[in-house]
Amino acid sequence: MTAGRPTASPAAPTRADHPETGERRRPLAEPGVPANGTPGAGHGPLAIEVHDLGVQYSLRLTKRRTLRRNFSSFLRRRASLFWAIRGLSLAVRPGEVVAVIGPNGAGKTTLLQTLAGILLPSEGTVTVRGKVGALLGPAAFDLELSGRDNIALFAAFLGVDRRLLHARTDEIIRFADVGDFIDARMRTYSQGMRARLGFSVASVTDPDILLLDEVVSTGDHEYRTRSRARIREMITAARTIVLVTHDMQWVDEFCTRAVVVERGSIVADGAPAEVVKHYQERAEQTPAAREPRGRRV
Amino acid sequence: MSTLARPTPVYVASPRRPTAADLLRQTVREVAAHSDLVRQLARATMRRAGAHTILGNVWWVLDPLLQMPLYVLLVGVILRSGTPDFPLFLFSAILPWKWFTSSLSEATSSVATRDQLIKQVAFPKIALPISAIVAVVPQFLFGLAPLLLMMGLFYRHRLSAFILLVPVVAAVQLVLSLAIGILLAICNAFARDTGRLTGFVFRIWFILSPALYSSDRIEHVSGRYPMLGIAFRLNPFTTLFESYRAVIYEGTFPSFIALVAVLLVSLGLLATTSIFFKRLEPSLAKIL
Repeated sequence: MTAGRPTASPAAPTRADHPETGERRRPLAEPGVPANGTPGAGHGPLAIEVHDLGVQYSLRLTKRRTLRRNFSSFLRRRASLFWAIRGLSLAVRPGEVVAVIGPNGAGKTTLLQTLAGILLPSEGTVTVRGKVGALLGPAAFDLELSGRDNIALFAAFLGVDRRLLHARTDEIIRFADVGDFIDARMRTYSQGMRARLGFSVASVTDPDILLLDEVVSTGDHEYRTRSRARIREMITAARTIVLVTHDMQWVDEFCTRAVVVERGSIVADGAPAEVVKHYQERAEQTPAAREPRGRRV
Repeated sequence: MSTLARPTPVYVASPRRPTAADLLRQTVREVAAHSDLVRQLARATMRRAGAHTILGNVWWVLDPLLQMPLYVLLVGVILRSGTPDFPLFLFSAILPWKWFTSSLSEATSSVATRDQLIKQVAFPKIALPISAIVAVVPQFLFGLAPLLLMMGLFYRHRLSAFILLVPVVAAVQLVLSLAIGILLAICNAFARDTGRLTGFVFRIWFILSPALYSSDRIEHVSGRYPMLGIAFRLNPFTTLFESYRAVIYEGTFPSFIALVAVLLVSLGLLATTSIFFKRLEPSLAKIL
């Protein structure tokens, strides 16, 4: 928590302040990426604004207990509440590619779920400007249906217009590269094929803001290369991306900014290389301090 | 791209407890906006239903047909309390009841089984029980085929134009199914005991409804047990079965006053359970 860095700061990233790693971030030099070297030089409204966010879980409902123990804890009125996120503020400008890193159970996925509108904040506010596309974990396909049926179903869940989907189906199938399997039941698909189809559906729906949770680093070499190319395309189109990953190389290579989430709030925010280095140093020093347990209210 | 021309959607979330009226309005708006999702989900459910069977959707026709001789044997032959043309008398109640219970069992599991999706995508969860119930409607329609065949072959004297009123009665039943299905879906998400419990409740409900016997029996029983008489009268399936029988078996008009009463109660119930569902909806991604 006390890292000597500006904590939970919504300040602009400081990529330009970091000359020694500048040459490694080639993709960012492409057009469409906002020059976000100078803080406050925003253009237009922020894409994502999170103000003092808190998301609370009730362990009473999530933990599977026996009826008797549920009842007794209810009587004792000991509400076991848990803040997955608390006091988190973040501002993301259009075109930024933000990596969210941190230990397991720090609240990264909860943050993304809140941005996607899947979870509601318990306190604070979340404002997201633009169409959101989210791929949080391996896509939950219906394995009894064909790939084609799943594309239609998943697109309906995402609220994609039917005509738009119709026009894009071929493109989705091509990017997923599952060949003749597209009309076979998804039970017959390999893990890689499922992952490709999921990313393919989520990215072709034209989101202004793309939220990705641990999905870009799966799959074989070829798929990774392809999804990289796709993300690069989206960066060029000034799409905002917030992604959770444990792949630090990814962070360094593709993101314009990195934030470290620990125990439900942001403890570091800045240029990817710098933040990653700092995070890895800290991870080696104090492994015990990152335990997410014991935060009861 | 055409997407650029559209105004940017802005999503603002803050902890605010909406009123019941807000929730109801929101539900109507969401379901209308996601009619495509309901359709796609219903289609997926129907495709999945026949996936692992050889006969596939033929079961929709076979199921009520196979159930009927069972009851004919039990009530008509062993208990000897049948009515004239007893198979038809039974079928006109078993078919809608079968539809009702499969609708509700599909609806009950609809939310709990989509846990992964609920944690990954923001969508109106109420579409899940609604589409589950919509997906079972064709089963009922297919079940009408053996009914018509049976009437054409054996009970031609009972066939009348009143049979065209079946969709009217079915529509009332559909509203009732939606109301209860939405309630069961959200309850089952929080406590899986719901599925077990409803199986038992449905069996009692079936026995307390005039499916295997005619409603004359109700008068007979309520004379001795007044409480049972009240239960019979409050039971919407008393009205529904009587209505189905009126149009299929007896060839008369159903009691429209009773049907409208059931419809109004069902609509009220539907509004209530939708609000209840909507109120608990935000917790779903956390508890599943």
